Amino acid sequence: MAEVLSIEELRSRIDVIDEQLVRLLNVRVACAVEVGRLKHEAALPIYQPEREAEVLNRVRQSATDLSGPLTAEAVVRIFERVIDEARRAERIASEQRDRLNSGMGE
Amino acid sequence: MVVVMKERATEVQIDAVIARLIELGMDVHRSSGATRTVLGVVGAHKVDSQLIGILDGVHEVLRISEPYKRASRSFKPEDTIVTLDDVRIGGDEVIVMAGPCSAETEEQVMASAAAVKRAGAKILRGGAFKPRSSPYSFQGLGELGLQMLRRAADAHNLKLISEVMDISQIELIGKYSDIFQVGARNMQNFTLLRELGHVRKPVLLKRGIAATIEEWLLSAEYILAGGNNDVILCERGIRTFETATRNTFDISAIPVVKKLSHLPIVADPSHGAGRRDMVAQLARAAVAAGADGLIIEVHNDPDRALSDGAQSMFPAQFDRLMAELRIIAPAIGRSICLEPVARRGWAR
Repeated sequence: MAEVLSIEELRSRIDVIDEQLVRLLNVRVACAVEVGRLKHEAALPIYQPEREAEVLNRVRQSATDLSGPLTAEAVVRIFERVIDEARRAERIASEQRDRLNSGMGE
Repeated sequence: MVVVMKERATEVQIDAVIARLIELGMDVHRSSGATRTVLGVVGAHKVDSQLIGILDGVHEVLRISEPYKRASRSFKPEDTIVTLDDVRIGGDEVIVMAGPCSAETEEQVMASAAAVKRAGAKILRGGAFKPRSSPYSFQGLGELGLQMLRRAADAHNLKLISEVMDISQIELIGKYSDIFQVGARNMQNFTLLRELGHVRKPVLLKRGIAATIEEWLLSAEYILAGGNNDVILCERGIRTFETATRNTFDISAIPVVKKLSHLPIVADPSHGAGRRDMVAQLARAAVAAGADGLIIEVHNDPDRALSDGAQSMFPAQFDRLMAELRIIAPAIGRSICLEPVARRGWAR
């Protein structure tokens, strides 16, 4: 029989997970920003819906395989948010780049 | 804003909308529902919702914030008070502007000014350039009329408001008048509005005869955007299917504007009714609804007026109205004409 955890123990476990999630999400977005920079250098469009669809399909598949309490749809919804924020971070980074470049040019 | 996609919108259509929004510098929050996808759009600047509404697969675009900024109460929560020396429009006191539709003769202007001052008006109204529906009607006296109005205002310690219809008149009218009035016909004369944004005198902006409140506030935005913060809005009736009165006076515009904007709003019951026998009723209702002031046509001899005689009040009617307003205003925490000016014996 699995050990029964108290509310406090469960909550402290959640806190640890959250900390890891925040760390991982940041690493993920940092990668996206770097991809954005490379896309910019290669003169590729910032918004690449095929890639976003690919990411969503992958997590949908993972969620289905896991068959945990989070449905595939729920995981997709969460990742839509993650992608939204990554896109936003990419935009901000690219604006900063533009400002820097225009500042140096003058 | 929120972009709601059609139920059968394809992935390609959704992607195209997101791509367009990103191109416009916006951040997009995509939510894919069971039947339709909703895009939340946020960003530092405004996007023309119609531009997005026409894209393939878009069901509707909902705006969350107003398209006007400076005129909006969310931009400036506290009421704007337009101040001309001791006259404050938008404060606790309800300010009454009254006078003839147009300046006709020295005697007429003087007599009308004396009558409205005695009754408690703070501002003299009167036109020198009259844009009439017919080109054969009396067109106004021009600068001569402005001089008459200024002399009458000064003689009775009144401020003066007069209508400007064209950019070419701004300088001349500005020489004599304390407030520029923009008539309903000119509410969307954006060239004129933009120019009035650069003057340093208050502008009273009448609502267009077929303008929505939003369009009206957008017109105010033109003046505000030019740096002139002293804009007074004026409800004067709109065109509806009703023919009993010339226009239908939109009383609800007063609380609506008060909610949406920080700008003062006054009411013009004369044009709202177009009939002398209904001006007082609408004036009382406007004050009760929270108007910051009234602009009323009063003529010393309305039956012989060269314009708008049918809607101009007799001085005695105006006196009575002011007495009634002095009872109504305190009921909603406002005052009207603080000093007792009804010193009939002293009037020259």
